[in-house]
Amino acid sequence: MNLRIIGAFISKDLSLFFRNRFFASMTVLGIIVYIAIYFVMPKQVDETLQIGLYTQATLPFFEQVQEEGLTLQAVDSEEALKEGVVEGEYVAGVVLPADILESFMSGQKPRISVYFASDAPPEIKESVESIIRELAFLQAGQVLPIEVTEEILGPDMLGKQIPPRDRMRPLFAVLLLIVETMGLANLLSQEVERGTIRAVLVTPMSVIDLFAAKGAVGVGLAFIQSVLFIAVVGGMNTQPLIILVALLLGAVLVTGIGFLIAALGKDMMSVMAWGIMIFVLLSIPSFGVAFPGTVTDWIKAVPSYYLVDTIHRAANFGSGWGDIWYNLLILLGFDIAFFWIGIIVLRRKFR
Amino acid sequence: MSLKRIGFLLGKEFLQGPKNFIFVWAVVAPVVISFVVSLAFGSLFSEKPKLGVVDEGDSQMVAMITGLDSAITREYDTVPAITNAVESGSVDMGIVLPQGFDEAISQGEETEVRIYIWGESLAKNRSILGVTVTNLIRELAGQEAPVEIDTITLGDEINIPWNDRLLPFIVLMAVFIGGLFLPSTSVINEKVKNTMVALVVTPTTIGDIFVSKGLLGFILSLVMGIIILVLNQAFGSQPGLLVMVLALGGIMATELGLLCGALIKDLTSLFTIWKMGGILLWAPAFIYLFPQIPEWVGMIFPTYYVVQPIVQISQQGSAWADISVNVFVLIGLNVLFAGIVALVLRRRRVYLV
Repeated sequence: MNLRIIGAFISKDLSLFFRNRFFASMTVLGIIVYIAIYFVMPKQVDETLQIGLYTQATLPFFEQVQEEGLTLQAVDSEEALKEGVVEGEYVAGVVLPADILESFMSGQKPRISVYFASDAPPEIKESVESIIRELAFLQAGQVLPIEVTEEILGPDMLGKQIPPRDRMRPLFAVLLLIVETMGLANLLSQEVERGTIRAVLVTPMSVIDLFAAKGAVGVGLAFIQSVLFIAVVGGMNTQPLIILVALLLGAVLVTGIGFLIAALGKDMMSVMAWGIMIFVLLSIPSFGVAFPGTVTDWIKAVPSYYLVDTIHRAANFGSGWGDIWYNLLILLGFDIAFFWIGIIVLRRKFR
Repeated sequence: MSLKRIGFLLGKEFLQGPKNFIFVWAVVAPVVISFVVSLAFGSLFSEKPKLGVVDEGDSQMVAMITGLDSAITREYDTVPAITNAVESGSVDMGIVLPQGFDEAISQGEETEVRIYIWGESLAKNRSILGVTVTNLIRELAGQEAPVEIDTITLGDEINIPWNDRLLPFIVLMAVFIGGLFLPSTSVINEKVKNTMVALVVTPTTIGDIFVSKGLLGFILSLVMGIIILVLNQAFGSQPGLLVMVLALGGIMATELGLLCGALIKDLTSLFTIWKMGGILLWAPAFIYLFPQIPEWVGMIFPTYYVVQPIVQISQQGSAWADISVNVFVLIGLNVLFAGIVALVLRRRRVYLV
């Protein structure tokens, strides 16, 4: 391996890339757009059901609800309650009649009015009705003879939920990496198509030098873009070293896959055909993070799962080396496998 | 410009098209994504809490739980299966009903119920599921609610389900993948392979070539737009109006495609533009996904004027009077883009070949 030749080839590829103002500016703009989308997305999770309550009676169970995720806020008038419901301040507005206590005592069923905004989903209406009924049961002193054993599975995120945009962070980072895969695969297939690879290989540059140079450019571009994105959106605030290592391994993975796609594709179109299939496959694990519970264990067969899971757990839960070392190890295994297979297959194509 | 030559070129495009990856992609991708969205994303984006149940005996509660409208419910066979589902977030809460649960409840005997809660479950979902299950147990125990509830609806806003919110995105994709990519890749391929030169040495003009490629993109875009609306049962009560808006959207997509084809020298550059510019095209669809984003943000993007009338007709039953302003803006934009395409073709004629 000749480091001088590799260095010259890398600087040639990079200077070609940056000399093309269009490519350079589009790459930068791409990152800016991803960052902009991240910041436009909601940064908080509203996990409380806010219900307005107007009552002239004194009902302890209604007024002192301390249920997690449920707030009954007293309002001065029925008009203010209606206004709050229409403006979306409350998901529902409850009006308790003045004689509700007397009704309970005399065994009559009091009528409770519940206001909903017309765009309230049916499930919210049904849920609020269930809540009112349950509070009324408690107020009337009707208890249930059940003993509930409660167990929280996984870290309890009550009050510190992960905002949607932070769940999307691994998806955006992986998308940036995968797009670079297609770019690298396309550049390589173009070189094969135009015969420039053969021209280069008649110089003192060896095939290993060529792969080292192309690999370094691919890994470098993918890595820098994803690191830049993750850093700007605050993904490096916890466990930065783990995230850097994960992104580096991810960049190596997509470069290896890029070699493979370049070997399979005959031209830009076939590179795109293969690239999109792989793009879809590699991005599936990110949806598992963005929408938990939607994917099953088969997702662990997709190499990008170990990248996405590592970024998600390190950035959103602060997981350390001890928790995710096996993810990084498996990712490294996939890196070696894909890089090696990619080089072997692409090398055959040169001959 | 010769209609005969345009027809001949268009026939060639249709004959060669199905062999082209972009053509297949433009047809297959919107249909596949539409199916995925309607099958999976319908419940994926649902804000309903998810409840799982394991019945160790033969409780009527299972039927009552699965019949709930306020929650998405799933039944599991074993306790490990439900704990696995709760741990992965497939359900917010898992309830295990012990053997003899119904008898114990109806006889007023104390019985134990195990509940597993997903750590990432929202507090409101935990509350909703908690009271819902308690309500069902009370119903099973024969307890009658001590109150009558009157529900009153205020305002005239309509709740839009996630499936409907995603429709603009799918329609935009159906119209723009075919309309934009087919003409642009076709023109670029002709330039890269130098077949454009071969064509213009015949009596065929650059105009004939662009019109034929544009027509292919327009037809595919319109057909795919209609197919997607039919698949999503979103044709509304004004099909004629809807087809007109789809056609105008197809024209916009085609014009942008031809513009890209004329200005961009190779497919790599086209896909690099797509990397950034694609998001600008889909931007109005995000307005429907996240209603918190003000509507004026969508109005900045040209595709808003395609999507908004489609949404109004298909989901709100609007008529011409409601959509006319947006349609006129769309027509204006189409005229503007057509002018730009014509200008670019005149100025870059020499580079095109």
